[in-house]
Amino acid sequence: MNVVAHRAKADSVERSLARCSAADYETIIEGCMLAGTHWFNVALHRVGLMATDADAMHAEFLSVGQRRKIAIVLADALAGLDTIESLRTSHVRGDLAGGEAAAQRALACLAQLKHSAESPVSPLP
Amino acid sequence: MKIASHLDKFRRLDATLRKLDAGADQELWIWTAMNAGVNLLNAALHACSATSETDSFHTQVEGLYAVPERATGVLRDAMHPPGDVMHVGQPAIAAPLPPGIERASAALRVIEDLRERFVRGSERAPADVQRDWHAAYATCVSELTAVLRAIEAVR
Repeated sequence: MNVVAHRAKADSVERSLARCSAADYETIIEGCMLAGTHWFNVALHRVGLMATDADAMHAEFLSVGQRRKIAIVLADALAGLDTIESLRTSHVRGDLAGGEAAAQRALACLAQLKHSAESPVSPLP
Repeated sequence: MKIASHLDKFRRLDATLRKLDAGADQELWIWTAMNAGVNLLNAALHACSATSETDSFHTQVEGLYAVPERATGVLRDAMHPPGDVMHVGQPAIAAPLPPGIERASAALRVIEDLRERFVRGSERAPADVQRDWHAAYATCVSELTAVLRAIEAVR
């Protein structure tokens, strides 16, 4: 998927997130994962770490080599998506206490991912 | 997770779903319907003893669970027989299932199969297709609710 389409999908999910209240914390975390993954792909495509025909689906499933490269140039984005994905286990598929706080953390990570995706990029060496 | 937690999550996700529009909020509607359905499915599978009511959470990796240490909130990886399913058939259930769960699983699979085209992909669904999604969700919920009520009635 190209950068324009990823942005459109991320924007669509973010508009839907605006309909959720704090009590909808599972859906907020899931929406942050969906939108955040699109922003992550925007960032990957823009810096040239991944071709537009090879989207990342979950940060957890990237190869060790891919993660090492991404950690050098998109450390904040990788950390943000890792955090959102970890919150899915504990608060979406799990019932640990603090769901609303977890959702707020996911939203902060989503903002971080969007910022990384829209920041000026330097060509890879 | 325990049945009570699955039911609590189902009620919350079902309430969230009512705030969303299957057209304008296509991605989040599909995802929330899927999550609501799988929580009700797990409650029914545990209630009929097809799977174990274990205090563990399914991870993104099929068959890998996270076991919570309740006092600290720390999660420890574990592999054990199901347990919660992540999606229909993931992991596969060896036990024969009541017909109501089979029908609900088929309906839930309809929603799960929307992910590639309508959530990860850019396709938008017309209104008549969205009506099919609502019907699949309603079937999933009504079949599983009936299974849970029947089990509760004989206890």
